[in-house]
Amino acid sequence: MRISFAKLLLLIAFFIVILVEARTVFAFFGIDVSLIGIAVTGVLVISALVLWAIRPGNDEPTEP
Amino acid sequence: MTQLFVERFPDQARLVRLAFFNSFAAFGIGALFGLIQALHRTDVLRIVESPTYYTVLTAHGVFLVITFTIFFLVGLYQWAVTTSLERRPVDMRITKAWYWLMSIGTVIAGITILAGFLDDPPEVLGSQLSADVLFTFYAPLQGNPLFYVGLVLFVVGTWLAGVDWFRTWWAWKGDNPGARIPLPTFMVLTTMIMWYISSIGVAVAILAFILPWSLGLIDSLNPTLTRTLFWYFGHPVVYFWLLPAYLLWYIVLPKLSGGRLFSDPLARVVFILFILLSTPVGIHHQYLDPGIAEGFKYIVMTNTMFLLLPSLLTAFTVVASMEHGARQRGGEGYFGWLDALPWRNPAFTGMALAGLVFAFGGFTGIVNAGMNINYLVHNSAWVPGHIHTQVGTAVALTFMAGSYWLIPQLTGNRLVWRQAALVQVLLWFIGIVFMTNSMYRAGLVGVPRRTAEPQYAFEYDVGVGSMTELDFQLALGGFLLFISAMLFLAIIFMTWRNSESEPIVDGTIPPALSGPEDSPRVLDNLRLWIAIALVLVAIAYVIPLASIVTRGGLFGPDIGPFPVFTDPMILLEYGSKLIGMVVI
Repeated sequence: MRISFAKLLLLIAFFIVILVEARTVFAFFGIDVSLIGIAVTGVLVISALVLWAIRPGNDEPTEP
Repeated sequence: MTQLFVERFPDQARLVRLAFFNSFAAFGIGALFGLIQALHRTDVLRIVESPTYYTVLTAHGVFLVITFTIFFLVGLYQWAVTTSLERRPVDMRITKAWYWLMSIGTVIAGITILAGFLDDPPEVLGSQLSADVLFTFYAPLQGNPLFYVGLVLFVVGTWLAGVDWFRTWWAWKGDNPGARIPLPTFMVLTTMIMWYISSIGVAVAILAFILPWSLGLIDSLNPTLTRTLFWYFGHPVVYFWLLPAYLLWYIVLPKLSGGRLFSDPLARVVFILFILLSTPVGIHHQYLDPGIAEGFKYIVMTNTMFLLLPSLLTAFTVVASMEHGARQRGGEGYFGWLDALPWRNPAFTGMALAGLVFAFGGFTGIVNAGMNINYLVHNSAWVPGHIHTQVGTAVALTFMAGSYWLIPQLTGNRLVWRQAALVQVLLWFIGIVFMTNSMYRAGLVGVPRRTAEPQYAFEYDVGVGSMTELDFQLALGGFLLFISAMLFLAIIFMTWRNSESEPIVDGTIPPALSGPEDSPRVLDNLRLWIAIALVLVAIAYVIPLASIVTRGGLFGPDIGPFPVFTDPMILLEYGSKLIGMVVI
């Protein structure tokens, strides 16, 4: 893994929080993001984050 | 690694465990009522009738913000005084007395509240056994007298606890003449000074007015007076919840980060500022109340804004300590040091996230404190949003995270399920953001608080999304918080039972980078700070209280205080008349 499981969980938690708050912040500037839009963005970004995190890092030995 | 607390002070560890047991039991009950409320208000699931909602609301408030927080405080402070002074209490009988007074008070008040769930509550002391009066129990809501008796016993218990800690310090001082007060003990003593000054307000409100009124000894009271006395106590009690969290942030968090506290003198200044500023601000809860002059509300607003100072000092000191710890662990760069922090440690992560939420909640507190903008959010869902970020997370999450560090030292057992504990604190963080974001947004469009039916038939003009979405978000947040609370209790329960294990925890607290020797000795002059605090209280309260009493009377307009013993002159006058009649 590129980062520890604990850090991955922490990043996911932070990202969920940012998603929840970002919608309100965007609306403040007149940018309306739909609920579905924010949910799909969330699923995509968290999936990408997990995939990135579980791949072996450059300095990690790979299985033969 | 030094000896564990339980090995050095087994009897004190037992007492702290007992206090924590009461705290966590109340936490479980309160959390369940919180879930019921969240689901009821949002109309997702209603398992009680709406009139019963107020019993749930009262139980949620009292069990969480009185019992959970304050029992944790007394347990933590007993640990802090014992471990920092390296000595047991002067008289264990007093220690046991305050514990039992608080416990009995809790049971009496708790039974009175929970009896509200009965279809036909029994008559006790002249009225039905129930107390649907919410945590802010001022008039015109009236509970059974036993509710107030329970509260009085509880508060007297906390006063006695303070006496106990002061006596321990005085004994230590006798053995260590001229020595600076160790920081944890300094924090305990300053907290208790603030508590003594502020809780006198609620004591007078209950003993002189509300309890005699609930017993039928007096027919009426002056609601503005009792509300003002309540809020005289009602804002400092927030710091009574918060300061144990501050103690953990200043004493434990730097150590968990891998370093040391940045500045002992700054920590002392912060606690002194709380003595001075936490009480003369209560009227900011009454901006919308008639009967208090606008000028005094303005003075109080100014005092309240000064309270940002200790919060900002704390943010600086605690973050600086964390950064120092991270750099000791190899962290580098402007922000790269964040990566070096021990994020896999649930005690650290929980406290750090609690601090982050506290900062956010502090900004919302500025809205509450501002006299003009407060009118926008007063009595709306914004206010419970604020209290859930502050006491519901900054305090509660810090207590939970701190427990993961403390319980192994108090039991001698290893913490079980460390990864689950990490998930627990993160789940709380996510849950509180879902729930409070919904509350803040709902509050801004005028959704009221303290009601089972927040929507009635109104169509709120929600700025972002819809009311249905806000409701769903609130219910989801409440559900996540409940799951997190239950997971916490399960981890603590299993750790308590995990007796065939060796704890992996080091209880030593390293000295601060800048120690007490770097600060003037006047910081430890507690009498001076008490005197200044009393002057500030007098400036903020004497004229408003005199004005309220002059206009509305002690017991309401045109109502004399007899037979309550609050006005000696009237009692004397009555006595002389009585004697005169007998003589004639």
